[in-house]
Amino acid sequence: MPEQMSRRTLTGTGVTPRAAVGTVVWYDRDSDLEDPDETSVDPQTELERFENAREAARAELEAERERTAERVGEQEAGVFDAHLQFLDDPQIESGVASAVENDLPAEHAVKRAFADPIEQFQDMDGRMAERADDLRDVRDRLIRLLTGSERVDLGDLPEGAVVLAERLTPSDTAQLDPDQVAGFATVTGGRTSHAAIFARSLALPAVVGIGDELREVEEDATVVVDGETGELCLDPTDERREEAAAASEVDVRTDPVSTADGRSIEVAANVGQPAELDGVRAQGADGIGLYRTEFLFLDRQSPPDEDEQYEAYTTALDTFPDGRVIVRTLDIGGDKPIPYLDLPDEENPFLGERGIRRSLDSDTELFETQLRALLRAAADGDGDLAVMFPLVATVDELDAALETVDAVATQLDAENVAHAVPELGVMIETPSAVFAAPELAERVDFLSVGTNDLTQYTMAAARGNENVEALRDPTQPAVLRAIARTVEAAHENDAWVGMCGEMAGDPELTELLVGLGFDELSMSAVTVPDVKAAVQSSHTDEASAHATRALDAATREQVRTQRNE
Amino acid sequence: MSSELERVVTVVPEAGLHARPAATFVETVTDADSDVRIAHATDDDDDTDLTPAASMIAVTSLGVEHGEEIRIVADGPDAAATLDELERVLTTPEDELGEENATATDTDATTDTNA
Repeated sequence: MPEQMSRRTLTGTGVTPRAAVGTVVWYDRDSDLEDPDETSVDPQTELERFENAREAARAELEAERERTAERVGEQEAGVFDAHLQFLDDPQIESGVASAVENDLPAEHAVKRAFADPIEQFQDMDGRMAERADDLRDVRDRLIRLLTGSERVDLGDLPEGAVVLAERLTPSDTAQLDPDQVAGFATVTGGRTSHAAIFARSLALPAVVGIGDELREVEEDATVVVDGETGELCLDPTDERREEAAAASEVDVRTDPVSTADGRSIEVAANVGQPAELDGVRAQGADGIGLYRTEFLFLDRQSPPDEDEQYEAYTTALDTFPDGRVIVRTLDIGGDKPIPYLDLPDEENPFLGERGIRRSLDSDTELFETQLRALLRAAADGDGDLAVMFPLVATVDELDAALETVDAVATQLDAENVAHAVPELGVMIETPSAVFAAPELAERVDFLSVGTNDLTQYTMAAARGNENVEALRDPTQPAVLRAIARTVEAAHENDAWVGMCGEMAGDPELTELLVGLGFDELSMSAVTVPDVKAAVQSSHTDEASAHATRALDAATREQVRTQRNE
Repeated sequence: MSSELERVVTVVPEAGLHARPAATFVETVTDADSDVRIAHATDDDDDTDLTPAASMIAVTSLGVEHGEEIRIVADGPDAAATLDELERVLTTPEDELGEENATATDTDATTDTNA
C-alpha cells in the first residue's frame, strides 16, 4: 500500500516515558449535526426547546463554575462567567429566533446563530481567537442538550481506548479506568496540569497541549500516543505500532532491589489519590514513600471524620502487607481553598501558615483527629505505617508535634482503643530544617527530603515559575550539599533517610543518590521500574566516589558532566 | 429633556475588556434600566460607531485592551448610576473583581494554566 498523504504526527508535551497504540475515543467533541428533515417545524415548539436547553446549560455552567472556583481558583472560574454571558447574548437570541421562523429545528438554529460570531472572532488574532473557542463551547453544550447526545462515559470505555479531549479535569480523570485506557491526549495543558500529574501517577502514556490540530483527529482512528517524545502519530506504520507495543511492556521488578554489591534500597511511590494504589503496586513499588492526605480534605463541605480517615489509611496499609506506607500529615495552606477551614488570604502562601504550622495552631483539632486515625490504622493495617510532618522549620515545632502524638496515644489508651505509635519522621523541605537536621534526627526514626520544596526554598525559585527554571534544579551544588548534610545528620543520629520528590524519580540521578547514602527513594509510580533497574546496576563504591565528586563541583554544569566520568 | 449621559473610561484590568471583566461589564449593563452603548474613544466621536453593551459578543469583539479608553453612552432613568457602576467595573484590577479568594492561584504549581 502506498504511503498515505494523511500519515501525520502531531506534537505536544509528553508527560510519561511510555507509549501505546490504541483507538481514538473523543470526549466531549463538537457534535456533527445531520441535515434537518424537509418537514417544517413549529417555531413556538422549537423556541421552547431552545429555552429549556438554555436553562439546562445555565445550570451546568453554574455548577462547573462553582466546582472550578473551589478546586482551582476564582480566577480560573471566570471563564464560566463569560460562557454564561454568551449564553444570554441578544445577538444569539435573535439569531435563533429568526432561524426557527425559517423552519430550522432548534439545534440547527443554534448552529446557525453561532456561525457568524464564531467566524468573526476566529479571524481576529491571539486572544480574540480564544473567544471563538468559548463560543464553540457554549454552542456545543446547547446542541448536546438539544440532541440528547450524551458525553462519553469515561468509566466505561472500550479496551485500548486513546481518549482525546480539550482538557481533562480532576473529575474526568477520577473516572478513567487505567486498565481500559491505553493513553490520552489533550488540546490544552502543560507538564504541571492536573491531567499530566495524573498520567504520571498511573504510568499512562499521555501527550498534553497538542493544540487545535488535535481536533481534526477522527473518532475510531488508530493512533500511537508517545509520552516520551510528545508525539501523537496518526495512522501509524506497522513498524511504529510494534515499537509502541514493545515500549509499553515495562520490565517491572516486584521484589525489593539492592545494588550490585548488595546494599538494599527501598524504592517506593508517591500517592495522592486512593485510586492510584493498584497502579502503584503494578509498577513494582515496595511501598508508599509519600502518601499525601490532602485528597481526604479537598472538595467537600466538612472535614473527614476519624473513621473515614482510618479506613483510607488501613486500605493503603493493606495494599502493601510486606511494605511500608509513609503518610504525610495534612499539608495545606492559603493556596488551596477549603471552605470549612479559615485559611488566610496570604500574599505569599508558600512562605505562610501551612503544613505543620497550621496543624500546631489553627488546625489542632484536625491534627489530633488525623493522628488518632493514624495510630489506630498502625495497629490494624497489614503493612508498616510511618508518619511524617511537613514543613518543619524548628526543633520546637517537632517537639510540639511529638507531644501531640503522645497525648493522642495516652487518650486512646484511656479509651481502650487498639492503637500503635508508628515510626515518626520529619520532612526536610526548608534550609532551616537542613541546619537543624542533627537535632531533628535525634528525636525521630527517619528524615525524608522533599526535593521540590527544598530546592524552591534553598534557591528562592518558585515552583511553577518558568523564568527561574534553571535555578530550580536539585543538582545545583547548594541543594546537593544541603541534601548531603541531611543524610549525614540522619545517619549520625541513628535515623534512616529517604527522599520524596522529582529528583528521586530520575534514573540518571539514582547512582548519585545511592552514593549520598539514601536508604529509601520515593517517586511517581511510573519511574519505579527504571529506578529499580538503576539501583541494581549501581555499585556503592563507585556511587560514593561519584557523590564525592558531585559535592566538590562548583557549578551545576560540573555536577552534570562529572556524572559520566 | 434627554436622559442620555456619556463618559470616557480607561480600562484597568490586565485582561482588557475580555473574559471575566467583560462578563461583569455585560452583567452590569443587563441589570441596569438604561440602554447602554459603547465604542472605542476617538477624537471625533461618532454615534454610528456605538455598539450595544448588553451583548457579550459585541463587547468582546471590540477587542479593548488594558490601558485603552472606551466611550460609554447610557440612556435611561438610572443613566448616571449605571455609568458610575460601569466605571467601577472597568477601573477595578481583575484580581479584585468578583469574589474574595481570587488570589494565590498563580503560585499553585499544579494549576492548569491553559484551562
